[in-house]
Amino acid sequence: MGGKASLFVVAGFSLMFLVLANNFGTVSNRSIDNYVNYFTDATAHNIAISGANLAANEIYLDPTWEDGFSNLSFQGGEINVDVNVVDVYQNIREIVSTADYKGASDTVWVTLAPSKFSKFAYYSVNEGGNIWWTENDTVWGPFHTQDYMRAYRHPVFYGKATTKKKLVYYDSQKKDKPYFYGGFEQGIDLPLPTDGVDNIEPSADANGFKITGEDTVYITFDLDTLKYRFSYSDPDTAVYLPTVAPNGLIFAKNSIVRLKGVIQGQYSIVSSGSDWAGKGKIYIDDDIVFSQDPRIYPSSTDLFGIIAQNEVLITDNDANNDDINIHGSIYCENGGFGAENYNSRPVSGNINLLGGIIQDTRRAVGTFNSSGPASGFAKRYKYDNRLMVASPPMFPGTGSFEIVSWLE
Amino acid sequence: MGFSTIIDILGSIIIGGILMSIAWRLSDAATEKTYNNGGELSLQQNLATVAQIIEWDFRKIGYCKDWNKLPDPSKAILYADTSSIKFLTDVDYDGALDSIYYYMGPTSELSETENPRDKILYRVVNDETPVQSNLGLTRFYMVYFDALGDSVSLPPDNYGLIASIEINVVVENVAAYNEKYSSAYWRQIRMVARNLKNR
Repeated sequence: MGGKASLFVVAGFSLMFLVLANNFGTVSNRSIDNYVNYFTDATAHNIAISGANLAANEIYLDPTWEDGFSNLSFQGGEINVDVNVVDVYQNIREIVSTADYKGASDTVWVTLAPSKFSKFAYYSVNEGGNIWWTENDTVWGPFHTQDYMRAYRHPVFYGKATTKKKLVYYDSQKKDKPYFYGGFEQGIDLPLPTDGVDNIEPSADANGFKITGEDTVYITFDLDTLKYRFSYSDPDTAVYLPTVAPNGLIFAKNSIVRLKGVIQGQYSIVSSGSDWAGKGKIYIDDDIVFSQDPRIYPSSTDLFGIIAQNEVLITDNDANNDDINIHGSIYCENGGFGAENYNSRPVSGNINLLGGIIQDTRRAVGTFNSSGPASGFAKRYKYDNRLMVASPPMFPGTGSFEIVSWLE
Repeated sequence: MGFSTIIDILGSIIIGGILMSIAWRLSDAATEKTYNNGGELSLQQNLATVAQIIEWDFRKIGYCKDWNKLPDPSKAILYADTSSIKFLTDVDYDGALDSIYYYMGPTSELSETENPRDKILYRVVNDETPVQSNLGLTRFYMVYFDALGDSVSLPPDNYGLIASIEINVVVENVAAYNEKYSSAYWRQIRMVARNLKNR
């Protein structure tokens, strides 16, 4: 009898332990399943991101790349990438990167658009020796330099700031660290093209207004009318811009342009020519402004590009001795944007720029001493936010794409 | 019935009592372990769910199908503090900008749960009614970092300073055996919403 009871007791306890062990095992398995599912999902996601990055890199190296990847093995999973042209006219492309990893799948969509230099509030190849961005400097839009980015006492950058070289502090990070409100990256190589202006000329031949064989062209924008002459004392000739320059391009070949006026519409003025001959320059003789300032009229569609093969200078004249207003994006392929006789001209007020400056070499616009301005201008540069999505006609492009949207 | 019989009966009662006691304690321990293990499994699932929801939304900070509507995604974060954040995104991929607001409610809102520390995590899209989830969250804590990797003091002069986010989530059981609550912790050391780095 005692033996049977013992057997019942042992069998009963064994049964209970079996039930409990099964229960604990199930819980444990579900817990592991839960962990594994999270891991596989995360890994599939990371592989999809890697596929998108690989494809973006291919497009960076070759903007015409559309091959994509098919069943590319990566970290134990597979990547399939398609590159689609979603807007032929604007050349908008989309990378679709799909990853499969141990039954989990994830997709990342990346949209790319052609990148124009006009999106920059400030761009330079050379920062002009030893010029520092100081606590008085605020850049309101995207910033890039191929040079060192030198910071003194917390300058402010509202757009994304990038530099090819590195960030240099005057004293220390604590004393000089800039405020980057739009992000910051080092090691970004974005060279200024050497043929940006040359590449525009065929468009001027096709549907623009092209002037050749003149040493100097005096140009006055008068809303939708362009007035021009070839010497200071000549009378102006007036043309209706929508008729003579349907694509919005006014091109002065191998010439010097002297510029002023009021812009209505979207136009770019280009001056080409070699520096040794003193050509390819644009002098701003007086205010050059939009008919509708977008800060006052947010629906304004006026855009303007000031594109010089060499440099853009604010003329040293009476009209410019009490502030100058410039609306537009300035591009200097070989030189820079500056003020004529910046260190000998009178104190001339402010440069009120609405737009951006893209230049090879940073130049001075005035001098200062301990009591304030000693000559030339103070800078009051504002970024035209519309340049993030719009560009003056035929403004030089970077030759590659930029990521405008990333969905994961 | 002799003396030996009485001894047998008493012995049986003692042995039976011991066995009963063992069985009772075994049952109690088994119940506790089953409850706790089940609770921890539920806890882990809750944590994974919270993490996936947060990752899903936070990765899309600054995204809009019509990118022209948010040309500078660094302006996407509208508000941020240690336990709440509001940002712009495109929730339903229709090209229209939406805002998402995450915040924690007070512990008093969950007085009906046994756990005195759990709170509701709210997710508000635009001006819609807040959607709440009671997944045993006891802590939802964020640290923000600038483009150079330094932590951002709150409130910042400009939310554009934020380049990456450390997200900390602690989840506990909403109820536990003998109030022995288990907890699980998830930390995303650097959540970088890719769109914040665009342009």
